[in-house]
Amino acid sequence: MEGKKQSIVSRLLEIKGMRAALTAFIGLIVIYVAFGLMNRQVFSTQNILNLLRSMSKYLLIGVGQSFVMITGNIDLSIGSVVGMSAMISATLMSHGMNPFLAILITILCGLIAGVVNGYLVGKFKLPPFIATLGTMFVTRGIAYIVNGNRNTDNIASGIGKEAGDAFQNFFYYAKVLGVFNTFWIALVVFVVFFFLLAKTQTGRHIYAIGSNVDAARLSGVDVVWTTTKAYLVSAFCSVVVGLILSAQAGMGNMDAGNMYEMYGVAAGVIGGVSPMGGAGLLLGTFAGAAVWQTLENGLNMVHAQVGIQRIVIGVIVVLAVMLDVILRSGNRKPKSK
Amino acid sequence: MGDVVVSMKGICKSFPGVKALDNVNFELRAGEVMALLGENGAGKSTLMKVLSGVYTRDSGSLTIFGKEYGDLTPNTARDAGIAIIHQELNMCSHLTVAENMFLGREFKSHFVLKNAEMEQEARKYLDELGVDISPRQIVGDLPVSKQQMIEIAKALSVQAKVLIMDEPTSALTSREIEELFNIIRRLKSQGHGIVYISHRLEELSHIADRITIMRDGQYITDGKYTDFTMDEIIANMVGREIKEKFPRVECEKGKKIFEVKNLNAGRLVRDINFSLYEGEIVGFAGLMGAGRTETTRAIFGVDPRESGQFFLEGREIIINGPKDAIRSGIVLAPEDRKKDGLCTKLSVRHNIALPNLDMICNKFGVLNSSKEEKYCNEAVKNLSIKTPNLDVDANTLSGGNQQKVVVGKWLVRNSRVVIFDEPTRGIDVGAKVEIYHLMNQLKKQGIAVMFVSSEMPEVMGIADRIIVMCDGRITGELNAKETTQNEILSFATAFEKKITGEDTGNGGN
Repeated sequence: MEGKKQSIVSRLLEIKGMRAALTAFIGLIVIYVAFGLMNRQVFSTQNILNLLRSMSKYLLIGVGQSFVMITGNIDLSIGSVVGMSAMISATLMSHGMNPFLAILITILCGLIAGVVNGYLVGKFKLPPFIATLGTMFVTRGIAYIVNGNRNTDNIASGIGKEAGDAFQNFFYYAKVLGVFNTFWIALVVFVVFFFLLAKTQTGRHIYAIGSNVDAARLSGVDVVWTTTKAYLVSAFCSVVVGLILSAQAGMGNMDAGNMYEMYGVAAGVIGGVSPMGGAGLLLGTFAGAAVWQTLENGLNMVHAQVGIQRIVIGVIVVLAVMLDVILRSGNRKPKSK
Repeated sequence: MGDVVVSMKGICKSFPGVKALDNVNFELRAGEVMALLGENGAGKSTLMKVLSGVYTRDSGSLTIFGKEYGDLTPNTARDAGIAIIHQELNMCSHLTVAENMFLGREFKSHFVLKNAEMEQEARKYLDELGVDISPRQIVGDLPVSKQQMIEIAKALSVQAKVLIMDEPTSALTSREIEELFNIIRRLKSQGHGIVYISHRLEELSHIADRITIMRDGQYITDGKYTDFTMDEIIANMVGREIKEKFPRVECEKGKKIFEVKNLNAGRLVRDINFSLYEGEIVGFAGLMGAGRTETTRAIFGVDPRESGQFFLEGREIIINGPKDAIRSGIVLAPEDRKKDGLCTKLSVRHNIALPNLDMICNKFGVLNSSKEEKYCNEAVKNLSIKTPNLDVDANTLSGGNQQKVVVGKWLVRNSRVVIFDEPTRGIDVGAKVEIYHLMNQLKKQGIAVMFVSSEMPEVMGIADRIIVMCDGRITGELNAKETTQNEILSFATAFEKKITGEDTGNGGN
């Protein structure tokens, strides 16, 4: 094999999806610098810290959605599971439940949504768009019902100021090594799932069913269980974001996480994750989430209207995918070396 | 017998690496049924695709109703009066009969559809065929046989004078076949020319006037059906003697490795019993749609089965899915590599590793890259897969090398039974021989090899024992060294009688 003689850089570039991921990183730098030149505040430490914290939500959502997209499916229930998690955790705590137990129950509820998604899509072969549309409504409904159709009280009112602060600090306000906890939490989750996708049997199976579900089945892959695992990852990431949101607000908001599933799609797609399945790296999703947040942050810093922000973001998503399509059709033939 | 309506002379057509048609002559007259005969891959369908404008011929002349045509397109062919009734019907099953018949050429006045007129017109052609179908019925609600009638009516509605029917009876019951034959006779008497492609040679006596026989993309002979005996027809279809092209190794037949008992799974797997032994390759011969692929899928646990037991080295094993089969040591290299065999978007490495991850990963499911590298390199080396490296996408390889990946991923494991389903389809001769060598190697290692192939010379050349299937049943078991292609073909066409012998008129000459 000639691979041994190649430099590390070119070997890295050979990894599938690496080019797309690196392109997103380069885009990130360009966007960041461009905004920085317009407003020096963009480069301030405070802004960087805020950026890292805000992008954490998109990173988590992006990781979850990427897992599902790599299997060739989609998860529309992400935003609702985020809302449901925020509401369940905040409701339980505002009624005085121990935060650890509340978190555990919230995770369990979220994972149930993941299993349901996985079985509807993997076992009963429902179109993922429809199946998760259903769970999207159901979980949002649960978010409304848990506290009787209203947002929760302050969680400190149930578990006391000390425990309430501890919960809020852990997920949102405290810093470790000068960086907000939220980012560290997202990073840990990212690294764990990065490893799962890149280095384990489960990860390989996820790519395989996204590339060719028939061939995967004939190679002995358990399609139902693998699909379910991808939805479980998505649900877990959503739960973490839900906890972050309830920590941020100190209470549960019934509409928390609205539209997050689409932010997840955007983060993945900008980073080169194929919505058709079978391709993509979480590294790209990382870049995608950062691009997304940097855009939002930068447009705010230059005082662009919300409408303008939406338009710019919409255009960027389409351009990112178009670039990918163009590059791919240009690269269809194997290069002869 | 009428005038010559279609005349094709010296037609050649090549695809990359294959000469599909080599100097073929074909002639069709008005008011006759011309049966076009040949083995799978003889070029019948390709020839008819040239006639209907789907493919453009490389050379040769093409005359339809006395007019010489250059490069036919589907539209000019249609305008010239050629219609093809495909084996798989092309209908929008959610639309009505009339909507389907006039799809793309709807009657309308100022953007508004004239449904009543279309329905009336549709009824006219259906009546002409004497079939009782309402133009308002939803096509998907009708049985296949009726859908076929609609296709024929549609062909008539575009004034087709030449109808090409590709395996029209394969999905029909005997009653429906009778009905179809009546319609064909009616069309014939109206002066239409009909090209009839079928593997069911026993049907010919009911319908064919003349026959044209093709083999390996070449025209062999033609003539009046009554001038041929069935043996002559088969001999002409099969023809060649190329056993020596196939490398064969002799092995001592050893102990029984795998046994299948009373396997039933749907219409195409009925009461299958057979055994595989050490040191032999068992070929599964038959025509397309005989149920061989379905049998392999039922064994491998891909498709559900109604009954059946499997014994591996005397012990019964339970197979409820491919995973169980693989764990027991039974592996399948499937027929359609793009659909079932390869993850085309993934790298060669990931494809070879996929079914072997249990061996590559530790007990926590974490991949061991060096082990993976080792297995993949071994596979690439053993099968001499030509790939720039392990990380290129599988679909960038040539067909033969893709096939080697499909096969190679299984040989990493120590399997006891290897099932090959059409392993040499669509790959070049050199790659074919490599696959044969591979099967021989497995045979020498004492692994049971089950080998499904539609190419008879290949089955006869490589297999030691041949099991012939027809219509979901095993119809014969033969010793490869003693049998003849004619014998195999006669077993492969041993359909259960579908046609009653009441109408023996061979076309009413």
